[in-house]
Amino acid sequence: MANEKMIYIHPAPVRVWHWVNAACFVLLVITGFQIRFAGTLGLMPLKDAINIHNYIGFLTIANYSIWLYYYFSTGKIKIYFPNPKTFIGNAIKQIQYYGFGIFLGKPNPHVMTPENKFNALQQKAYAALMFVFVPAQMITGVFMWQLKTYSNYIDQLGGIKVIDTIHVILFFFFASFLVIHCYLATLGHTPLAHFKAMFTGYEEHH
Amino acid sequence: MKTTSLFHLLFIVFLSCLWPSVLLATDNSECMDCHSDEGLTREAAGDVSLSRMSDQLFLDNDKFHLSVHHLNEISCVDCHSDIEELNYDNEIPHKAHLEPVNCTACHEAEGEAFSQSVHMEIRGKGITMQCYACHGYHYVKRLASASVAERENLFCLKCHNADNYHDWLPQKQAHFAFVECTVCHAPTVPSHIHLNFYDLVTNKFFNGNQIIEALGIGFDEFLPLIDTNKDNIINTNEFEDLLLILRQKNIYTEVHAELVVELEPILHNVIKGGSTNECEKCHSADSPLFDAVAIVLTLEDGSAEHYEVEKDVLNSFSMSSFSALGGTRVKFLDKIGLLVILGGICGAGGHLFIRLVTAPLRRRNKENEQDS
Ligand code: HEC
Ligand code: HEC
Ligand code: HEC
Ligand code: HEC
Ligand code: HEC
Ligand code: HEC
Repeated sequence: MANEKMIYIHPAPVRVWHWVNAACFVLLVITGFQIRFAGTLGLMPLKDAINIHNYIGFLTIANYSIWLYYYFSTGKIKIYFPNPKTFIGNAIKQIQYYGFGIFLGKPNPHVMTPENKFNALQQKAYAALMFVFVPAQMITGVFMWQLKTYSNYIDQLGGIKVIDTIHVILFFFFASFLVIHCYLATLGHTPLAHFKAMFTGYEEHH
Repeated sequence: MKTTSLFHLLFIVFLSCLWPSVLLATDNSECMDCHSDEGLTREAAGDVSLSRMSDQLFLDNDKFHLSVHHLNEISCVDCHSDIEELNYDNEIPHKAHLEPVNCTACHEAEGEAFSQSVHMEIRGKGITMQCYACHGYHYVKRLASASVAERENLFCLKCHNADNYHDWLPQKQAHFAFVECTVCHAPTVPSHIHLNFYDLVTNKFFNGNQIIEALGIGFDEFLPLIDTNKDNIINTNEFEDLLLILRQKNIYTEVHAELVVELEPILHNVIKGGSTNECEKCHSADSPLFDAVAIVLTLEDGSAEHYEVEKDVLNSFSMSSFSALGGTRVKFLDKIGLLVILGGICGAGGHLFIRLVTAPLRRRNKENEQDS
C-alpha cells in the first residue's frame, strides 16, 4: 500500500507510563478481587493480597504523577479537552462509526495526529478517568491503607463504609474498563496495530 | 413515760437487727475506724518477701462503696479472711502482716483458666502475677460496659507494648482499636460485637441512662419500643428506625462497633502461640466472629444491658464507621459490580460478534471499491 505512512503518536514517556499503568491495573484488579472476596476466592492468602495491593497502589500513584507532570509540562494536556464547538458533532459521528459504519468498513471519522490523538469519545472518557475516577480511587485507597491515620478525613467524608463503597464501585468500573479498553484496542486497521503502536510509538496512517 | 418505753423498745429492735453481724464478723465500719485515715502507713518491712502492693493503709470508702464487691456484700474480712477478730488491747488490733488475699477462693473458675495461661507460666521464672496485678482490688468494677480502648488500657497495655509484636498485621492500630487483645490471644473464649452510641458533640460514648432518658422510657421498654415485629431481635429496619428516633430526640450519634470477648472465666487463658494470625478467620463472609451482635447500654456500675441485633446490620450503611473487609461487606455492591463487569464483557463481545457476522459485507464493499 503506497499511501501508508508512519507517524509518531506516542512519545516514550507516555508509552512507559501506559504499560506500567496497565500492569498495575491488572494486578490491582486481581488482588482487589481477592481482598473483597477473601474466604471465597483462593488465589492467594489475604495478607499477601493486601500487601501487594498496597505496594502496587503506591506504584500506580507515583506513575500517575509522572503522567501528570509530563502532560502538564509539555502542554499536551489539552488533548484531553475537546473543542466545545466541534465536540457534539464529532461525538455523534464517532458513535455512528462504532455503532454502524465500522460494520460496513467505513473509515474512522477521526484521524489521529500527535496533537489530537483521541477522538471525541475518548477525550471525554479519558478526561473523566484521569481527572476524576483515578484520583478518587487513589485517595480512597490511601485512606483505607491506614484507617487510623486518616480517621479524621474518613469521618468527615461519612465514614469508612462510604469510602469503601466508592473504592469498590470504581474498582468494578475499572475491571470492566480493562475489558472494553482491550477490545477497543483491537479495532485498528489490524487487530494488533494499536498494540504495536503502543510499543513502538508509531501509528500507521492510511 | 410512755415515750421512753417506746424508745427503749425501738432500741432493742434496732440492736437485735444488728445482732448477727455484730456476733459473726468484723464489720467494715470497724476496719474503717482506722483505715479511713489518709495518713495511716505501714512500717517498711525489712523482709522483702513481706513487701506489699502499697505502703499506704488508707482506703477510700466512697470508692469502695461503688466497687462490685461491696455492691455484692463482700466485706473487708471476706477477702482479708485471716482476720478473725479484732483485739483492741494491742496497738494493731490484728496481725501486722496478713496473708495475701486469695481471689480464687470465690473466683474458682477464673483461677482454673488463669492457671493454664502464659501469665501463670512466668511463675516458673520466679515472677508471681496476682489477679490484682490486672484488676486492682478494692475498687474493682464490673467490666461489661468497658470499651475496647478501656479494656486494653486497663489490662494488657499496662505491661505490654503491643506495637512491638504485630508487624505482620496490616493496620495494627485499626485492629487494636476494634478488636480486644484477648479475642486473638485467648483463642477459646467466645466473642461478640458491641454496638455503642458515640456522641458526635462531646466525642464520648453515650451511657445507657442518657439514651434511655432521651427516649423517655425505662430500660425494660427499650426492646419493645425498637423491636416492632416482636421477634426479640433488632433487624436492619428496626435499627435504622432507632437511629431516626434518636436523631429526632437531638441525639447526634454514630454507631461504633467493636469486637470484644464474652466475660467468661476462660478469657484468662492467654496462651503463647495460640493466637490466630489467620486473616480469613475474621475477614471472610462466613466468619463466625460477626454472628453475635448486640447493642449495649452501659450502666453506672460498669455492667451493661445487651440487646440482640441481627448480623446484617453490620453490612448496612447505618454502621458507617465499621467495615471489616471480606467479613462485613455491603452485599448489593457485589450485584452492581457483577452487572458492570458483565456489561463490559457483553458490550465488547456483542460488538465483536456483529463484526464477525458482518465481515463478508465489508469484504464485498471493499471489492466494490477496488472494482470501481
Ligand atoms: C475483693 C477483696 C478485698 C476486699 C473486699 C477488701 N480488700 Fe483490702 N486488700 C485486698 C488485696 C488483694 C490487697 C493487697 C494485698 C497485698 O498487698 O498483698 C488489699 C490490701 C489492703 C490493705 C493494705 C493497703 C493496700 O491498699 O494495699 C488494707 C489496709 C486493706 N486492704 C484494707 C481493707 C479494708 C478496710 C477493707 C474493707 C473496707 C478491705 N480491705 C476490703 C483485697 C480486698
Ligand atoms: C493478665 C491480666 C489479668 C489477670 C492476671 C487476671 N485477669 Fe481477670 N480479667 C482480665 C480481663 C482482660 C478481663 C475481661 C475484661 C474485659 O475484657 O473487659 C477479666 C475479667 C475477669 C472477670 C469477669 C469475667 C468473669 O470471668 O466473670 C473476673 C471475675 C475476673 N477477671 C477475675 C479474675 C481472677 C480471680 C483472677 C486471678 C486468678 C484474674 N481475674 C486475673 C484480665 C486479667
Ligand atoms: C469473698 C468472695 C470474693 C473474693 C475473695 C473476691 N471476689 Fe471478686 N467478686 C465476688 C462476687 C460475689 C462478685 C460479683 C459476682 C457476680 O455478680 O457475678 C465479684 C465480682 C468480681 C469482678 C467483676 C466481674 C464482672 O462481672 O465484671 C471482678 C473483676 C472480681 N470480682 C475480681 C476479684 C479480684 C481481683 C479478687 C481478689 C483481689 C476478688 N475478686 C476476690 C466475690 C469475691
Ligand atoms: C501485670 C503485667 C501484665 C499484664 C497486665 C499482662 N501481661 Fe502478658 N505477660 C506479662 C509477663 C511478665 C509475661 C511473660 C513474658 C516473658 O515470659 O518473657 C507475659 C506474657 C504474655 C504473652 C506471651 C508472650 C511471651 O513473650 O511469652 C502474651 C501473648 C501476653 N502476655 C498477652 C497478654 C494479654 C493479651 C494481656 C491482657 C489481657 C496481658 N498479657 C496482660 C505481663 C503482663
Ligand atoms: C488479630 C489478632 C491479634 C490482636 C488483636 C492482638 N494480637 Fe497480639 N499477637 C497475635 C499473634 C498472632 C501473635 C504472634 C503469635 C503468638 O501468639 O505467639 C501476637 C503476639 C503478641 C505478643 C508476643 C507474643 C510472643 O509470643 O512473643 C504479645 C505480648 C501480644 N501479642 C500482645 C497483644 C496485646 C497487648 C494486644 C492488644 C492491644 C494484642 N496482642 C492484640 C495476634 C493478635
Ligand atoms: C480477630 C479478627 C481479625 C483478624 C484475625 C484480622 N482482622 Fe483485619 N480487621 C478486623 C476488624 C474487626 C476490622 C475492622 C476495623 C474497622 O472497622 O475499621 C479489621 C480491619 C482490617 C483492615 C482495614 C481495612 C478495612 O476496610 O477493613 C485491614 C487491611 C485488615 N483488617 C487486614 C487484615 C489482615 C491482612 C489480617 C491477617 C494478617 C487480619 N486483618 C486479621 C478483624 C480481624
